[in-house]
Amino acid sequence: MLTPAILVLLGLSLYPLIFSLRLSLTNSEGVWTLSQFERLLRDGLFGIALVQTFIYTLVALVLEFGLGLLLALLLNRELAGRKIFRAILLLPMLLPTVVVGIIWRLIYNPSFGLINGSFRALGIDTSGWLWLSGQKTALISVILVDVWQWTPFMFLLLLAGLQSLPVEPYEAAKMDGASAWQIFRDITWPALKPTVLVVVLLRILDLVRIFDQIFILTEGGPGFATETASLYIYRNAFRFFNLNYAAALSFMLLALSTAVSLWLIRLLGKRVAEARG
Amino acid sequence: MKLRQSLRLCLKLLALLLLGGSLLGCQQRESKPGLTIAVNAGVEGDALKAAARDYERRFGIRTQIVELPYTNLYEKQLVDLVTGTGAYDVIMLDDPWFSRYAESGQLTPLEPLFQKRGSPGPDSDFLAPCLALCRHPYMKGPLYALPYVGNSQLFFYRKDLFEKYRLAPPSTWGEVLRAVRIISSGEKNVHGYVMRAAQGNAVVADFMPLFWAFGAEMFDAHGKPTVDSPEAIAALKFMLELGKYSPPGYVSFNADEVSAHLLQGTAAMSINWPAWIPAVDDPTKSRVVGKIAFGQIPGEKVPGRAEIGNWLLAIPRGSRNVEQAFDFLLWATSAEQMKISALRGNPPTRWSIFADAELQKKYRSYPAQLESLQNSRPRPRTPLWNEIENAFGVYLSKANSGELGAEEALSRANREIAEILKRNP
Repeated sequence: MLTPAILVLLGLSLYPLIFSLRLSLTNSEGVWTLSQFERLLRDGLFGIALVQTFIYTLVALVLEFGLGLLLALLLNRELAGRKIFRAILLLPMLLPTVVVGIIWRLIYNPSFGLINGSFRALGIDTSGWLWLSGQKTALISVILVDVWQWTPFMFLLLLAGLQSLPVEPYEAAKMDGASAWQIFRDITWPALKPTVLVVVLLRILDLVRIFDQIFILTEGGPGFATETASLYIYRNAFRFFNLNYAAALSFMLLALSTAVSLWLIRLLGKRVAEARG
Repeated sequence: MKLRQSLRLCLKLLALLLLGGSLLGCQQRESKPGLTIAVNAGVEGDALKAAARDYERRFGIRTQIVELPYTNLYEKQLVDLVTGTGAYDVIMLDDPWFSRYAESGQLTPLEPLFQKRGSPGPDSDFLAPCLALCRHPYMKGPLYALPYVGNSQLFFYRKDLFEKYRLAPPSTWGEVLRAVRIISSGEKNVHGYVMRAAQGNAVVADFMPLFWAFGAEMFDAHGKPTVDSPEAIAALKFMLELGKYSPPGYVSFNADEVSAHLLQGTAAMSINWPAWIPAVDDPTKSRVVGKIAFGQIPGEKVPGRAEIGNWLLAIPRGSRNVEQAFDFLLWATSAEQMKISALRGNPPTRWSIFADAELQKKYRSYPAQLESLQNSRPRPRTPLWNEIENAFGVYLSKANSGELGAEEALSRANREIAEILKRNP
């Protein structure tokens, strides 16, 4: 039953993968060589890009997960206007990422933007608020845009998870007089772990490959402050046309993200098995 | 049961693939004769777009315009040129890209096409500095393009503010800094200077005239990079000083932001390109109509020279409509058509257009533009320019954002450029 689908999938993914692997192991004349990987290991800029990708992933994940969980818990009850809240909360996620990038670039503009303009109207001096143009503030500014756009994604999936939980344990706990925190810690959180694993894994896989927001917002600048692995690979591939080197970089990124994902699955999978058994 | 189900699924997939394939095939067979032109999405591309539409109206040949922002234009062109797919018949390219395209033989040589039409080559009405850019090697080699947008930098300054503070038009960068300080402290909402400092093409394009004026060069006589010379460091330190009087966030400014500040009157001086001049005197876009003067790029240790930045028109090797594309090229760069495009705001690349009385009356900046072009110099004509510009630009940006000091930034940039040269002998 699955064979035709599998064949198509293999054709579309396996051939390009093998072609890229070959690119990474040859030079521009087609000679087999490990020089691309040698260069990669000596490449300080790629190292910086990887570190920044890691920071981006970690901070964005923590913020998105935390906010998403909070919102899901809040909106899991029978509040008035709950449906409207949910609809509004989903909006950022529905916008194309490029549009989000352009909107936030305008909002962040130090001279004409919404943020600095509003505070200036209140009489606050905003001359040091550089956001995307500031060496120290660029990365967090870009991360906040990601949080704005993708927290709804976390919220949606966590809410679905929460709503699929059985009500009986909650009723029992309330009868026993448990506090809200105890209910969350002992009932909600353990039961939610499978959902958490899926949500976190999905988001990490996307965050590690982050490209479009950063490309629109800062293109990796100022200097190298917001350069991530994907951006660096793109630059090598399409600006400098070093396809061999870009292929090698891509495989390194693939290897690292696979390692992280496997580790995460093992870690959370273990906890899920513990919770069930 | 299972076998029959999977067989049915296979047949459905096959039918879908056949349908899709036939639709695709139909599209290709029905391709109409015409020209696909890749154009820059910005002021520089507007004149060519209008010219293409005129061409279609006059000769009935369909012209499809593909408009792309600067970096995407470069990437799309590069992919098309390398793979030879013939997606574009005419491409509009920024002259720093030219060396790379021409070096790899990806552009159609134009002299044979001229000769086929009984002409030895482009006429002498074209300005020499503009035509020199279209030859590879620079100035002497075969011709691969024709110059269309005669961009060469000018120094824009608020002559009303200069008169107010009794300052003479600046001829050296020292005078510029003095004027910047006086105007910044005297005017409330006006920054003395504004510049493009976004990493990459933006910051390098704005830095080169300063770099050259302080006596620095990118490469020595043996082709080794010398961007960490004492002259270069002095130039970068000067740029950082100017940055103190620039609007906040200038570190990520590109042409749009610089022009916005000039047009809104919130910045008094800048290096800029003639393509922006029409907007300056357009009351619907500018608050400083008639107040901006256009001078030559100031000197310092050596006389100032503008950086030339023409946009050229070329025909990719892979184009399937070479003759038609060349007809369009000749038509668009003819004196008659270039006058029409000049009336639309396009900076000219021909003598006769600069000498035209009607245009001289309309554009008060023409004498300055002509002088700038004649006195200009191009960025290094190396096929590795994109990588070098990128590396140089990252470090210039780091220096401007305060992450690195001037000496450290330039020494690292020099090392990086040397690495690039080593990797590509």
